[in-house]
Amino acid sequence: MSTALEISALSKSFAGVQAIRDLSFTVPKGVSTALIGPNGAGKTTVFNMVSGVYGVDAGRITVNGVDVTRMPSRKRIGTGVARSFQNVRLMPHLSVLENLLVGQHVRASSLAALFTPYRLIPNHRWKREARAALEESGLGRWADETVSALPYGVRKRIDLVRATLAGASLLMLDEPAAGLNPSETNALRDHLKDLMAKGTTLLVVEHDMHFVDSICQNVVVLNFGEKIAEGPLSRVRQDPKVREAYIGSDGEA
Amino acid sequence: MVAQQIVNGLMLGAIYMLVAVAFTLAIGVLNFLNFSLPGLFMAGGMLAFGLMKAGWPFLLAAAGALAAAAFISLLVERFAYRPMQGGDPEVPLVSSLGFLVLLENLMLVQFGSDQQAFPALLPDLNLRIGGLVIGYAQLASLVLSLGIVAALSFVLAKTAAGRRIRTVAESRETALLMGIDIARLVPQLFVASAALAALAGILFAVNYQQVSPFMGEGVGFKGVAAMIVGGMGSIWGAVLGGLLIGLAEVVSISFIGADVVNITVYGLLLLILIVRPQGLMGRAPSREKL
Amino acid sequence: MSGYLTGVLVVLAFNVMAAYAVYLPLAAGQLNLGIAGFMAIGAYGSAFLTNEYMWPMWAAVPVGALAAGLTGLLIGLPVLRTHGIYFAMATFALGQVISAVFLNLEVVGGAAGYPVTDYAGPNVVFAAAAGVVLLMLYISRTRFALELTAVKSDPTVADLLGVPVRGMKVAAFALGAMVAGFGGALYAHHYNFVEAQHFNVLLSVFTVLYVLFGGTQTVWGPLVGAAFFTLVPELLRASDQWRYAVFAVFIIVFMAIRPQGLVTAALFRQFRRRAPEASS
Repeated sequence: MSTALEISALSKSFAGVQAIRDLSFTVPKGVSTALIGPNGAGKTTVFNMVSGVYGVDAGRITVNGVDVTRMPSRKRIGTGVARSFQNVRLMPHLSVLENLLVGQHVRASSLAALFTPYRLIPNHRWKREARAALEESGLGRWADETVSALPYGVRKRIDLVRATLAGASLLMLDEPAAGLNPSETNALRDHLKDLMAKGTTLLVVEHDMHFVDSICQNVVVLNFGEKIAEGPLSRVRQDPKVREAYIGSDGEA
Repeated sequence: MVAQQIVNGLMLGAIYMLVAVAFTLAIGVLNFLNFSLPGLFMAGGMLAFGLMKAGWPFLLAAAGALAAAAFISLLVERFAYRPMQGGDPEVPLVSSLGFLVLLENLMLVQFGSDQQAFPALLPDLNLRIGGLVIGYAQLASLVLSLGIVAALSFVLAKTAAGRRIRTVAESRETALLMGIDIARLVPQLFVASAALAALAGILFAVNYQQVSPFMGEGVGFKGVAAMIVGGMGSIWGAVLGGLLIGLAEVVSISFIGADVVNITVYGLLLLILIVRPQGLMGRAPSREKL
Repeated sequence: MSGYLTGVLVVLAFNVMAAYAVYLPLAAGQLNLGIAGFMAIGAYGSAFLTNEYMWPMWAAVPVGALAAGLTGLLIGLPVLRTHGIYFAMATFALGQVISAVFLNLEVVGGAAGYPVTDYAGPNVVFAAAAGVVLLMLYISRTRFALELTAVKSDPTVADLLGVPVRGMKVAAFALGAMVAGFGGALYAHHYNFVEAQHFNVLLSVFTVLYVLFGGTQTVWGPLVGAAFFTLVPELLRASDQWRYAVFAVFIIVFMAIRPQGLVTAALFRQFRRRAPEASS
């Protein structure tokens, strides 16, 4: 089985505080994985290093077989990795369709593409493609709305469509279910399952263990920047080290 | 000769320093590049001149000019700063420029566009130390400026009010959580920075014995340059920047010629911005948190 | 057309070109407070080539524009490492330095100014301004414009989506500088005289004022802003000495009521709702 993401011996410290210590784990293609652990365990830091927002102190990151450890952040999407943010980050003043068009950049970045007057061409293929992707996720009716006017749950899912349009085969989601009501959570879950069925691999940071259980086959547990357990959720939650890590925090696992 | 130029540069630098501190208060705490400050600088000088012409004694005229500048600054806060919260950061800059244009044109209508002679306050007495000639008026304004800046720095560092201001500068959210009344603090800051700018204008008028409706532009923009060279938001940075810009100006005038002033002063600014954008004494901007 | 009206419209044409020069980088979130400097490069460059080397105007004007654009590119690379207010101040300083350099350049007349022999009539100026507007309209219909907005709106996310953030900023800045240089070159040939003092801070700052007043959300904002700022003071001429004071009060009150500028994207969407088939 080939791997979507391989992290080996990764370390990172901020101002002398070791945020990630000698971390290694693998996300095989098609095996959606959850990254869990108490607050401050270093989950988001891992995302930031994989997406290139932070550099690494030591170790290696490989996405779909490509070593991205020293690659500039903007080039990494070309290897097939995209991420979401804890608070959805769409461009608020642009319409939904325009946000999706920005997502297509990685596949339309030539000078000729940049200066094609696509807005003057009725039904230009970029617009068609973006609309089709929205329709497919049942979000078609929002296409021309301004993002800032949309409900939170819809924005989260548009974020997913944008990542799909960017050609992401590995999608890192930072607390996707946070702040959603139950029906929005269900819609999101269906959307994610649909993406997985089409071959996308997920790496999810999430506190809601029911949600994790319903979409992830594998779980990696972090505590103080170190991996303390790995495996299916049912087994990991029996692990005494994991139980210990969560005592004194919210005891959710 | 060189020593004399250095002294002259420091005297001029003291004026820039006050303007730079005024700008740095607005930028450092409120994140607002307040372009009405050159207008308030000019209003300080012009109104003091106008009131003296109307027969007021100097100190009363100066107080009147300061009070008027403070009042105008409250209008700036009300119309240029307050409505713009949460919008594009360039917008308050435009409105504050509107105030600069307004003030200049009001003075123009009242006093005409010509340069006016500001009466000499102190008889033309000079202090002579070795070969150096130092005007009493200039010396007095240098001492006054440094005293005010030192006092301001003390207030910011040591008092409860200063702590509140620093908290707002660090993070508005934290300040709100701590129950700091930002709505009351902001107008006070506007009054303080206006008073500094207007005082600089009065001192300029006293030292150089001339005023005009457009005197704020050159000095005001150099004040901005001084603030950035020293480091935005740093009071002592503004002091250092002001003195440096004053020195650079005087020295380049006397050794190369008046026309190159802008090249040296703004070239220095440009160089600093490229090499060390946070200024000589500023802290590096922190990277966005995700 | 009366001479007076032509004169006003020529000023309008120059203001429109300058406004778009400011608008392009501003669309990517970069406030250029030194646009006058780039105009000066175009003006002096083109004037120098026609005067001293007998170049024809049609060749000298584009070269002047290119020189301004190239300066923007070279300066933009180091300066665009800084952002926000630092960038604005760097352009401000740059504008001051450029005009001060020309003030001291004796080959182009120094402080006495520089007479220019070749003349560009009003129609040439109008055509040039129309060309700039058309070019901007075209650009606003491309992915380039969309990605500039993305860079302004959220540079971190734009970067992670693969958009070359710094490259886009430099491109917008240099293109804007080129447009400024183009306008400046025509200015030199229309008035047959350039002096460094004309290209001062206030020219830069007033241009920014037009653009923000018109609004930066759509490509029409700068046009509307420039038109307003050129024509209204003329209409207020009756009140003569008070007109700039009245005008300033108007700006202050207007920006307080409508900080997003006169022309906004929402305004356009309202129009489009009324005529739905016109939308993309």
